[in-house]
Amino acid sequence: MAYDADGDPSDEVLLVRYAKGDRHAALALTRRITPRILGYASRLLAGDRAEAEDVAQETMLRLWRMAPDWLPGETKVTTWAYRVATNLCIDRQRSRRRKGQVTLDEAPDIADAAPGADARLQDSRRLAALAAALADLPDRQRQAVVLRHIEGLSNPEIAVVMGLGVEAVESLTARGKRALATLLSGRRDALGYEGG
Amino acid sequence: MQDDDLDRLLARAAAAPPPPASDLLDRVLADALAELKRSALPVRPQAWATGRPRAARTPRAAGRLGWLAAVFGGAPMLAGVCTAAFAGMAIGYLEPGTLDLLTGGNADVTELFPQIDFLPTEG
Repeated sequence: MAYDADGDPSDEVLLVRYAKGDRHAALALTRRITPRILGYASRLLAGDRAEAEDVAQETMLRLWRMAPDWLPGETKVTTWAYRVATNLCIDRQRSRRRKGQVTLDEAPDIADAAPGADARLQDSRRLAALAAALADLPDRQRQAVVLRHIEGLSNPEIAVVMGLGVEAVESLTARGKRALATLLSGRRDALGYEGG
Repeated sequence: MQDDDLDRLLARAAAAPPPPASDLLDRVLADALAELKRSALPVRPQAWATGRPRAARTPRAAGRLGWLAAVFGGAPMLAGVCTAAFAGMAIGYLEPGTLDLLTGGNADVTELFPQIDFLPTEG
Protein backbone atom coordinates (compact mmCIF):
# COMPACT_ATOMS: atom_id res chain seq x y z
CA MET A 1 0.00 0.00 0.00
CA ALA A 2 1.35 3.45 -0.90
CA TYR A 3 1.86 6.07 1.78
CA ASP A 4 3.10 9.62 1.57
CA ALA A 5 6.01 11.12 3.50
CA ASP A 6 3.87 11.61 6.60
CA GLY A 7 2.78 8.00 6.69
CA ASP A 8 -0.73 8.80 5.53
CA PRO A 9 -2.30 6.86 2.66
CA SER A 10 -1.47 8.35 -0.73
CA ASP A 11 -4.09 10.10 -2.83
CA GLU A 12 -4.19 7.06 -5.10
CA VAL A 13 -4.93 4.71 -2.21
CA LEU A 14 -7.61 7.05 -0.91
CA LEU A 15 -9.25 7.21 -4.32
CA VAL A 16 -9.43 3.42 -4.54
CA ARG A 17 -10.92 3.34 -1.05
CA TYR A 18 -13.45 5.99 -2.04
CA ALA A 19 -14.48 3.95 -5.07
CA LYS A 20 -15.20 1.08 -2.66
CA GLY A 21 -17.48 3.32 -0.60
CA ASP A 22 -15.14 4.75 2.04
CA ARG A 23 -16.54 8.11 3.15
CA HIS A 24 -13.47 8.97 5.21
CA ALA A 25 -11.40 8.68 2.05
CA ALA A 26 -13.74 11.18 0.38
CA LEU A 27 -13.24 13.62 3.23
CA ALA A 28 -9.45 13.25 3.17
CA LEU A 29 -9.26 13.76 -0.59
CA THR A 30 -11.56 16.76 -0.37
CA ARG A 31 -9.33 18.43 2.21
CA ARG A 32 -6.10 17.58 0.40
CA ILE A 33 -6.90 18.35 -3.22
CA THR A 34 -9.64 21.00 -3.24
CA PRO A 35 -7.51 23.83 -1.78
CA ARG A 36 -4.71 23.16 -4.26
CA ILE A 37 -7.03 23.15 -7.23
CA LEU A 38 -8.79 26.26 -5.95
CA GLY A 39 -5.49 28.12 -5.61
CA TYR A 40 -4.34 27.01 -9.03
CA ALA A 41 -7.63 27.93 -10.72
CA SER A 42 -7.71 31.24 -8.92
CA ARG A 43 -4.30 32.17 -10.35
CA LEU A 44 -5.18 31.01 -13.84
CA LEU A 45 -8.43 32.98 -13.73
CA ALA A 46 -6.76 36.18 -12.48
CA GLY A 47 -8.23 35.95 -9.03
CA ASP A 48 -11.86 35.41 -9.96
CA ARG A 49 -12.81 33.56 -6.81
CA ALA A 50 -16.32 32.54 -7.83
CA GLU A 51 -15.18 30.99 -11.10
CA ALA A 52 -12.21 29.36 -9.41
CA GLU A 53 -14.56 27.72 -6.90
CA ASP A 54 -16.72 26.47 -9.76
CA VAL A 55 -13.66 24.99 -11.44
CA ALA A 56 -12.51 23.34 -8.21
CA GLN A 57 -15.93 21.84 -7.53
CA GLU A 58 -16.31 20.59 -11.11
CA THR A 59 -12.82 19.09 -11.06
CA MET A 60 -13.57 17.22 -7.86
CA LEU A 61 -16.93 16.05 -9.20
CA ARG A 62 -15.17 14.55 -12.22
CA LEU A 63 -12.68 12.93 -9.86
CA TRP A 64 -15.48 11.24 -7.92
CA ARG A 65 -17.07 10.01 -11.14
CA MET A 66 -13.78 8.72 -12.50
CA ALA A 67 -12.87 6.89 -9.29
CA PRO A 68 -14.38 3.48 -10.25
CA ASP A 69 -12.28 3.50 -13.45
CA TRP A 70 -9.06 4.68 -11.81
CA LEU A 71 -6.02 2.62 -12.82
CA PRO A 72 -3.41 2.83 -10.06
CA GLY A 73 0.11 3.52 -11.26
CA GLU A 74 -0.79 5.32 -14.47
CA THR A 75 -0.60 8.87 -13.12
CA LYS A 76 -0.92 10.79 -9.89
CA VAL A 77 -4.34 11.92 -8.75
CA THR A 78 -3.12 15.49 -8.38
CA THR A 79 -1.64 15.52 -11.88
CA TRP A 80 -4.97 14.30 -13.23
CA ALA A 81 -6.82 16.96 -11.25
CA TYR A 82 -4.51 19.76 -12.44
CA ARG A 83 -5.08 18.66 -16.01
CA VAL A 84 -8.86 18.72 -15.66
CA ALA A 85 -8.71 22.09 -13.90
CA THR A 86 -6.46 23.48 -16.63
CA ASN A 87 -8.93 22.50 -19.33
CA LEU A 88 -11.84 23.96 -17.37
CA CYS A 89 -9.93 27.22 -16.87
CA ILE A 90 -9.10 27.42 -20.56
CA ASP A 91 -12.80 27.12 -21.37
CA ARG A 92 -13.61 29.94 -18.96
CA GLN A 93 -10.74 32.13 -20.13
CA ARG A 94 -12.06 31.98 -23.67
CA SER A 95 -15.42 33.30 -22.58
CA ARG A 96 -13.87 35.89 -20.22
CA ARG A 97 -11.76 37.52 -22.94
CA ARG A 98 -14.84 39.29 -24.21
CA LYS A 99 -15.20 40.96 -20.83
CA GLY A 100 -11.53 42.01 -20.51
CA GLN A 101 -8.86 41.05 -17.98
CA VAL A 102 -7.29 42.69 -14.97
CA THR A 103 -4.01 44.32 -16.01
CA LEU A 104 -0.94 45.13 -14.01
CA ASP A 105 -1.96 48.77 -13.73
CA GLU A 106 -5.28 47.67 -12.24
CA ALA A 107 -3.68 45.66 -9.46
CA PRO A 108 -5.47 46.65 -6.31
CA ASP A 109 -3.73 48.61 -3.61
CA ILE A 110 -4.19 46.89 -0.31
CA ALA A 111 -5.32 49.20 2.44
CA ASP A 112 -4.14 48.36 5.92
CA ALA A 113 -4.03 51.19 8.42
CA ALA A 114 -3.10 49.11 11.44
CA PRO A 115 0.08 50.24 13.23
CA GLY A 116 3.16 48.15 12.43
CA ALA A 117 1.54 46.67 9.36
CA ASP A 118 4.06 48.01 6.84
CA ALA A 119 5.65 44.63 6.21
CA ARG A 120 2.27 42.95 5.71
CA LEU A 121 1.14 45.79 3.49
CA GLN A 122 4.22 45.50 1.30
CA ASP A 123 3.85 41.72 1.20
CA SER A 124 0.24 42.07 0.10
CA ARG A 125 1.16 44.62 -2.57
CA ARG A 126 3.83 42.34 -3.95
CA LEU A 127 1.48 39.37 -4.09
CA ALA A 128 -1.20 41.48 -5.75
CA ALA A 129 1.34 42.74 -8.30
CA LEU A 130 2.47 39.17 -8.95
CA ALA A 131 -1.14 38.06 -9.49
CA ALA A 132 -1.72 40.92 -11.91
CA ALA A 133 1.52 40.20 -13.77
CA LEU A 134 0.57 36.53 -14.03
CA ALA A 135 -2.77 37.58 -15.48
CA ASP A 136 -0.95 39.50 -18.20
CA LEU A 137 1.09 36.49 -19.32
CA PRO A 138 -0.02 34.42 -22.30
CA ASP A 139 -2.19 31.53 -21.10
CA ARG A 140 0.32 28.73 -21.67
CA GLN A 141 3.18 30.63 -20.04
CA ARG A 142 0.99 31.42 -17.06
CA GLN A 143 -0.01 27.77 -16.67
CA ALA A 144 3.61 26.61 -16.87
CA VAL A 145 4.92 29.21 -14.42
CA VAL A 146 2.16 28.62 -11.88
CA LEU A 147 2.46 24.84 -12.06
CA ARG A 148 6.26 24.93 -11.77
CA HIS A 149 6.98 27.75 -9.35
CA ILE A 150 3.83 28.01 -7.23
CA GLU A 151 2.22 24.57 -7.31
CA GLY A 152 5.62 22.87 -7.25
CA LEU A 153 5.10 20.27 -9.98
CA SER A 154 8.03 18.74 -11.80
CA ASN A 155 8.53 19.42 -15.50
CA PRO A 156 7.45 15.86 -16.50
CA GLU A 157 4.27 16.29 -14.43
CA ILE A 158 3.59 19.65 -16.07
CA ALA A 159 4.11 18.03 -19.46
CA VAL A 160 1.33 15.55 -18.62
CA VAL A 161 -0.96 18.31 -17.34
CA MET A 162 -0.45 20.51 -20.39
CA GLY A 163 -0.18 17.75 -22.96
CA LEU A 164 3.29 18.91 -24.06
CA GLY A 165 6.83 17.58 -24.19
CA VAL A 166 9.21 18.30 -21.33
CA GLU A 167 11.38 20.56 -23.49
CA ALA A 168 8.37 22.66 -24.46
CA VAL A 169 7.50 23.01 -20.78
CA GLU A 170 11.02 24.15 -19.95
CA SER A 171 10.87 26.73 -22.71
CA LEU A 172 7.45 28.00 -21.63
CA THR A 173 8.53 28.27 -18.02
CA ALA A 174 11.70 30.18 -18.86
CA ARG A 175 9.89 32.61 -21.18
CA GLY A 176 7.14 33.06 -18.61
CA LYS A 177 9.60 33.96 -15.87
CA ARG A 178 11.39 36.45 -18.10
CA ALA A 179 8.10 38.06 -19.01
CA LEU A 180 7.09 38.20 -15.34
CA ALA A 181 10.34 39.91 -14.41
CA THR A 182 9.83 42.46 -17.17
CA LEU A 183 6.25 43.16 -16.13
CA LEU A 184 7.18 43.60 -12.48
CA SER A 185 10.31 45.65 -13.09
CA GLY A 186 8.17 48.67 -13.88
CA ARG A 187 6.88 48.61 -10.30
CA ARG A 188 10.16 47.66 -8.67
CA ASP A 189 10.44 50.76 -6.51
CA ALA A 190 6.79 50.78 -5.51
CA LEU A 191 7.10 47.17 -4.40
CA GLY A 192 10.18 47.86 -2.31
CA TYR A 193 12.79 46.13 -4.48
CA GLU A 194 16.19 47.70 -4.97
CA GLY A 195 18.72 47.37 -7.78
CA GLY A 196 18.26 46.21 -11.36
CA MET B 1 13.53 43.07 -10.93
CA GLN B 2 16.28 40.57 -10.21
CA ASP B 3 15.86 36.82 -10.53
CA ASP B 4 16.32 36.29 -6.81
CA ASP B 5 13.54 38.76 -6.03
CA LEU B 6 11.20 37.02 -8.43
CA ASP B 7 12.07 33.60 -7.03
CA ARG B 8 11.39 34.84 -3.50
CA LEU B 9 8.09 36.35 -4.56
CA LEU B 10 7.01 33.14 -6.28
CA ALA B 11 8.02 31.15 -3.20
CA ARG B 12 6.00 33.52 -1.05
CA ALA B 13 2.98 33.01 -3.30
CA ALA B 14 3.45 29.24 -3.14
CA ALA B 15 3.46 29.39 0.65
CA ALA B 16 0.21 31.32 0.79
CA PRO B 17 -2.47 29.57 -1.25
CA PRO B 18 -5.91 31.11 -0.90
CA PRO B 19 -7.82 29.23 1.78
CA PRO B 20 -10.97 27.63 0.42
CA ALA B 21 -14.30 28.78 1.71
CA SER B 22 -15.66 26.20 4.08
CA ASP B 23 -18.88 25.86 2.11
CA LEU B 24 -16.85 24.87 -0.96
CA LEU B 25 -15.42 21.92 0.96
CA ASP B 26 -18.93 21.09 2.12
CA ARG B 27 -20.21 21.17 -1.46
CA VAL B 28 -17.34 19.02 -2.73
CA LEU B 29 -17.89 16.46 0.03
CA ALA B 30 -21.63 16.45 -0.65
CA ASP B 31 -20.89 15.71 -4.31
CA ALA B 32 -18.62 12.85 -3.27
CA LEU B 33 -21.25 11.27 -1.06
CA ALA B 34 -23.95 11.75 -3.70
CA GLU B 35 -21.75 9.98 -6.26
CA LEU B 36 -21.21 7.12 -3.84
CA LYS B 37 -24.95 6.78 -3.48
CA ARG B 38 -25.44 6.87 -7.24
CA SER B 39 -22.68 4.33 -7.81
CA ALA B 40 -24.75 1.81 -5.89
CA LEU B 41 -27.36 1.86 -8.70
CA PRO B 42 -27.09 -0.58 -11.65
CA VAL B 43 -26.35 2.17 -14.18
CA ARG B 44 -23.92 4.79 -13.00
CA PRO B 45 -22.16 7.66 -14.75
CA GLN B 46 -18.46 7.09 -15.25
CA ALA B 47 -15.56 9.05 -16.65
CA TRP B 48 -12.50 8.39 -18.75
CA ALA B 49 -9.09 9.35 -17.48
CA THR B 50 -9.34 12.53 -19.53
CA GLY B 51 -11.91 13.76 -17.08
CA ARG B 52 -14.75 13.94 -19.50
CA PRO B 53 -17.82 12.09 -18.26
CA ARG B 54 -18.42 8.88 -20.11
CA ALA B 55 -21.70 8.78 -21.98
CA ALA B 56 -24.16 6.70 -20.06
CA ARG B 57 -25.02 3.43 -21.69
CA THR B 58 -28.33 3.69 -23.45
CA PRO B 59 -30.55 1.58 -21.23
CA ARG B 60 -33.29 1.25 -23.83
CA ALA B 61 -31.20 -0.55 -26.48
CA ALA B 62 -29.48 -2.78 -23.95
CA GLY B 63 -32.82 -3.59 -22.31
CA ARG B 64 -34.47 -4.60 -25.57
CA LEU B 65 -31.69 -7.02 -26.45
CA GLY B 66 -31.58 -8.32 -22.92
CA TRP B 67 -35.33 -8.95 -22.93
CA LEU B 68 -35.13 -10.87 -26.22
CA ALA B 69 -32.25 -13.00 -24.94
CA ALA B 70 -34.21 -13.73 -21.77
CA VAL B 71 -37.22 -14.92 -23.80
CA PHE B 72 -35.04 -17.53 -25.53
CA GLY B 73 -33.28 -18.60 -22.36
CA GLY B 74 -30.12 -16.55 -22.63
CA ALA B 75 -27.77 -15.11 -25.20
CA PRO B 76 -26.31 -18.48 -26.37
CA MET B 77 -29.78 -19.88 -26.96
CA LEU B 78 -30.77 -16.77 -28.88
CA ALA B 79 -27.66 -17.13 -31.06
CA GLY B 80 -28.53 -20.80 -31.76
CA VAL B 81 -32.10 -19.96 -32.73
CA CYS B 82 -30.90 -17.18 -35.06
CA THR B 83 -28.40 -19.56 -36.72
CA ALA B 84 -31.05 -22.23 -37.24
CA ALA B 85 -33.47 -19.69 -38.70
CA PHE B 86 -30.84 -18.42 -41.10
CA ALA B 87 -29.93 -21.93 -42.20
CA GLY B 88 -33.60 -22.78 -42.80
CA MET B 89 -34.11 -19.72 -44.94
CA ALA B 90 -30.95 -20.47 -46.96
CA ILE B 91 -32.02 -24.06 -47.66
CA GLY B 92 -35.47 -22.88 -48.62
CA TYR B 93 -34.09 -20.52 -51.23
CA LEU B 94 -31.65 -23.04 -52.75
CA GLU B 95 -32.74 -24.93 -55.90
CA PRO B 96 -32.97 -28.74 -55.65
CA GLY B 97 -30.02 -29.07 -58.03
CA THR B 98 -27.86 -27.06 -55.71
CA LEU B 99 -29.17 -29.07 -52.80
CA ASP B 100 -27.96 -32.27 -54.48
CA LEU B 101 -24.50 -31.38 -53.33
CA LEU B 102 -25.74 -31.92 -49.81
CA THR B 103 -28.10 -34.85 -50.35
CA GLY B 104 -26.22 -36.91 -52.94
CA GLY B 105 -28.60 -36.19 -55.86
CA ASN B 106 -31.89 -37.66 -54.61
CA ALA B 107 -33.44 -34.67 -52.99
CA ASP B 108 -36.28 -34.53 -55.58
CA VAL B 109 -37.21 -38.27 -55.38
CA THR B 110 -38.68 -39.23 -52.10
CA GLU B 111 -40.33 -42.58 -51.37
CA LEU B 112 -42.60 -42.22 -48.41
CA PHE B 113 -43.46 -45.95 -48.39
CA PRO B 114 -40.48 -47.67 -50.09
CA GLN B 115 -41.68 -51.27 -49.59
CA ILE B 116 -45.48 -51.38 -50.03
CA ASP B 117 -45.57 -54.53 -52.26
CA PHE B 118 -45.63 -56.87 -49.37
CA LEU B 119 -49.01 -55.63 -48.10
CA PRO B 120 -51.33 -57.75 -50.43
CA THR B 121 -49.41 -60.94 -49.67
CA GLU B 122 -50.02 -60.70 -46.00
CA GLY B 123 -52.82 -62.79 -44.38
